[in-house]
Amino acid sequence: MNSPTFGSTPAIDYLPVSVASHPSYSTLSEEAVDPSLSPELLADLLDASAWIEILTTYGLTMNVAVSLTDCQGIGLGVCNNPQAVWSLLRAAVPLLGCPFCIPKSLPCTAVVDALRTGKVAMVRDQAGLTHVAVPLSIGKQPLGAIIAGQVFDRYPEALSLRRVAKNLDIPSQMLWEVARKQRPVSRISLQSSGDLLRVLGHAFVQQRYAAILEAHLAETNRNFRLLVEGVRDCALFTIDTAGRVTSWNVGAQRLLGYPETDVVGHHFSRIYTKEDIYNRLPEAQLRKASLEGHAENEGWRIQGVGSKFWGNTSITAFRKVAGTVDGFTVIVQDVTERRKLAIDLEGAREERVRLQDKFLSHVSHELRTPLTAIYFFTTNLLDGLVGDLTLEQSAHLKLALANINQLKEMVSDLLDITRIETHKLTVEQQHASPAMLIVEAVSTCQTNAASKSARLTCDIAPNLPYVWADPARVRQILINLIDNGIKFTPKNGTITTRGHAYTQDDNFVVLSVADTGCGISTENQERVFERLTQVIEGEKPSRSGLGLGLFISRDLVSRHGGRIWLESQPGQGSIFYFTLPIFSLAKLCAHVFTAPNLALRSVTLIAIEMTVVEHVVQADLLSEIKRILERCIRPGQDILLPSMSDTQPMLTFFIIACTDVSGFEVMASRIRRELEKFDNSSSLLLTITPTTLLVEPVPPSEKQIGEITRELDGLIQQHLSRNEKHT
Amino acid sequence: MNGKKILLIDDDESLLLGLTLRLRANGYNIVSAVDAISAITVARKELPDLIILDLGLPAGDGFVVLERLKTLADLATIPVIVLSARDPLGNKNRALDAGAVAFFQKPPDNREFLNAIQHALGETVALSTFLKT
Repeated sequence: MNSPTFGSTPAIDYLPVSVASHPSYSTLSEEAVDPSLSPELLADLLDASAWIEILTTYGLTMNVAVSLTDCQGIGLGVCNNPQAVWSLLRAAVPLLGCPFCIPKSLPCTAVVDALRTGKVAMVRDQAGLTHVAVPLSIGKQPLGAIIAGQVFDRYPEALSLRRVAKNLDIPSQMLWEVARKQRPVSRISLQSSGDLLRVLGHAFVQQRYAAILEAHLAETNRNFRLLVEGVRDCALFTIDTAGRVTSWNVGAQRLLGYPETDVVGHHFSRIYTKEDIYNRLPEAQLRKASLEGHAENEGWRIQGVGSKFWGNTSITAFRKVAGTVDGFTVIVQDVTERRKLAIDLEGAREERVRLQDKFLSHVSHELRTPLTAIYFFTTNLLDGLVGDLTLEQSAHLKLALANINQLKEMVSDLLDITRIETHKLTVEQQHASPAMLIVEAVSTCQTNAASKSARLTCDIAPNLPYVWADPARVRQILINLIDNGIKFTPKNGTITTRGHAYTQDDNFVVLSVADTGCGISTENQERVFERLTQVIEGEKPSRSGLGLGLFISRDLVSRHGGRIWLESQPGQGSIFYFTLPIFSLAKLCAHVFTAPNLALRSVTLIAIEMTVVEHVVQADLLSEIKRILERCIRPGQDILLPSMSDTQPMLTFFIIACTDVSGFEVMASRIRRELEKFDNSSSLLLTITPTTLLVEPVPPSEKQIGEITRELDGLIQQHLSRNEKHT
Repeated sequence: MNGKKILLIDDDESLLLGLTLRLRANGYNIVSAVDAISAITVARKELPDLIILDLGLPAGDGFVVLERLKTLADLATIPVIVLSARDPLGNKNRALDAGAVAFFQKPPDNREFLNAIQHALGETVALSTFLKT
C-alpha cells in the first residue's frame, strides 16, 4: 500500500541544496565544519524536545512508533504514539538498547547498518518484528538514527505474540488486546516512508546545525570584536566594498592618529601618500584583494597629523555569501624600524664589497710599481745590459724572472676578482683557433715547467674547428690550468693539454688539461672553483698562488657560454675540462638575415685587404681599423666579421652586407676614404673586392640561411687560402 | 744608435733608472721628469721625439699633462705612450682619446714595449740584439 506521498525519493547528497546555500553555512570555514563536534553540540543537535514534533507527526501519520537514538541505537527518550502497541511496550522496556529489537541487541544492527551505508536499513528480528533505521549525520560525522517500527507488521500470530510477550515479560492477553486494534503497516511502506524520513531528518539536522552555528558565530564575532579592539600595536579596521571605513580599533587610532568618530564612513585612502592616491594604489590594492582574497603593500603611510611612517598594509577580503565580497579587513603595521635596519644592513654590505674591491684594486695597483722596477732590473741584468753573467747567475736570474711573471699574474688575478664582483670582467669573443691557443699557452708555461722538471705535452685533434672566444682570456684559462698542473705534480710529472670535439654537444669543442699529480678528493672537487680556495691534498701542502685562478677561470668560461669541470681521483691526477662554443657564421649572421633584408635578393661578401708595408701590425692598429670599419657598415643590415686569419702582413677583413653591387660601391668608397684619412702616410695598400650571392626571395627559412652561410664560408676560406699562397 | 730623444715622465726613480738603461741600450737618448709641472718644462726645453708618460704623478694627473701637451703647438705632434699601473679598463680608451698612441700597463713586456716605441717613432722593427728574453 504505497501512498503517493511516500513514493520513491531520489538519492540525495548529504547536504540538501537549501542548506548548502544557507548564508551562515557558506561563511563557515573548513574548521567550523570539522567533524570533531563538541559533545555539547551533538547533544544539542539531538535534543529530544526539538525533535518531538516531527517524530510525533510522522508516527501518527504512518501509524508507527518512532524513536530517536544515538549511534549505538540507544533510545534518546522520544518515542510516542498513543495508538500503537508501543505505548504498551514502552512501559515494559527500559530505555536501554534499541527499543524495537527483541531480544534486545546492542548495538542495533539496523542503526549500525544505516550509519555505515548512509541509507535506510531494515531489520527483522527474531520475534518476526520489522523496524527501519534512518541515519542522521552532519557532514561525514554520524550523529545517530531515527528508528521507526511497530511491534507487529501484520495481524499478530499467536506464536510470535506469545514470544514477544514472554520477552517483554507482560501477559500475552494484554498484548493481543492492543495488537488487535492496530492497523497493520506493510514492510514496503515502512521502507519508503523511511526514505522520506531520511530526507526530513537530514534537513532538520542541517537546519538545526546552521542555527546553532549562527548562534555560535555571533558569539565568536563578539569575542573577535573584543580581541580586535584590544589590539593596540597595529591598526586593524574594516572597510566596505567602496573603501569606506566601517570599524576602527584602538591600534588604528594610536597608529594612524584619527579617532573612530572622525574616520568611520570616510574613504580609507587618507592613510596613503598623495603620490599613492594619485597613482590609485588604494583602489588597485582593493581590486587585488577582491580578486585574490589578499593584497599586501609596503610604503610610506600618513598619520592624521601629517607625519609619515613606513607601513605594511595587508588587506583581506571577507565574504558573507559565497562569491560576493562583503568588505575588507585592513591591518597596518609600523615597520619603519625594520626597514631602517634592512637598509642599514644592505648599505653595510655594499660598503663592505666596495671597500674590499677598492682595497684589492689598490693593492693590485700599488704592487705594480715596485714589480715594474724589479722586472726592468732583472731583465736588464739578464740581457747583459749591465755586464756579462756567469751561467749560474743567468740561471738564477731566469728563475727570478719566472717568479716575477707569476707575481704579475697574481696581481692581474686580483684585479680580475674585483671585476667579477663588479660585473666588469669582459670577454671579447672573436674567431679564434683553439689549436693555436693551446700551443701558445703551452709554450708560455714551458719555463715554469722546466724549473719544476715537469713535461708539457699537447694532443690536439686534427681539423679542430674555430671557436668563438676571446683569445687572451682562453690563454689565461689554459695557462692557469697548466700552471696549477705543474704546481700539484711531483717532479718528472707530465701535464697534457688536449683539444677535441665535444661529443655531448657538437656546438662546442672541449679543451682539457690533465696532470699526473696528487689528485683531488670528491668532497673537494666542488670547492676548488670557489673564491680563495686552495684545497690541501696529501701530506705536504705544495703552496703558492692566491687560489683565485679557478674562480676566475670558471667565470671566464661561463662568460663564453661554456662549462668547466674536473675529473679526479686522489693519487691519480686530475683532468680539468672546459668547453668553448664553435664559431658559427650562421649564428653570427642570424640577426641580419631577416625577411626584409633578404628581400633585396642579394648578399654581398666584401673582402678588405690591406698590406701593411712599413711596420709590424700592432694590436692597437688592428682595433683602430676595426673601429673605422664598424662605422662604415649599417647596423642591422651588415656585419663586420671578426678577424678570420692571422696572416701577416696581409690583413683581411670581411663584411657581409645585405646589399647589391651598387650598395657595395657606396660602402667601398666610404671605407676607402675613411681608411686613407686614418692612414695619411699611405702605408696601407688597400684593395676592396665584392662577391655577390643571389638569394632566393623571402621568407627565409633556417635551411636557406644555412645554405647562404655555407656558401659564404666557402668563399671566405677560398679567399684566405688564395692569400696564403700569395704570401 | 739613432740618437732619438725620449722623455720619461715618472715619479718612481728606480723605474726611471731601469727603463733608462734598457732604452739607452737600444740607442735612445733619455731625458726624464718626475712630476707634472717639470714634465712640461722639460718637454719644451728638450723637444723629445717621444714621451713615455705615467698617469699618477705628483702635482697633477697624467691626463692633465697629456691634455696640456696636446694643446701646446710645439709639443702637440710628439707621440705619447702611456705607461701606468692603472687598470686599462677605462683608462686605456681615455688615454687614446686624449691623443696617446699606445697604453701599456706596468709592468710592460719589454719586446712589445720596444716595438711600440719603434712604431711610434716611425722606425722599422728590427729585433734588437739585446733582446734575448
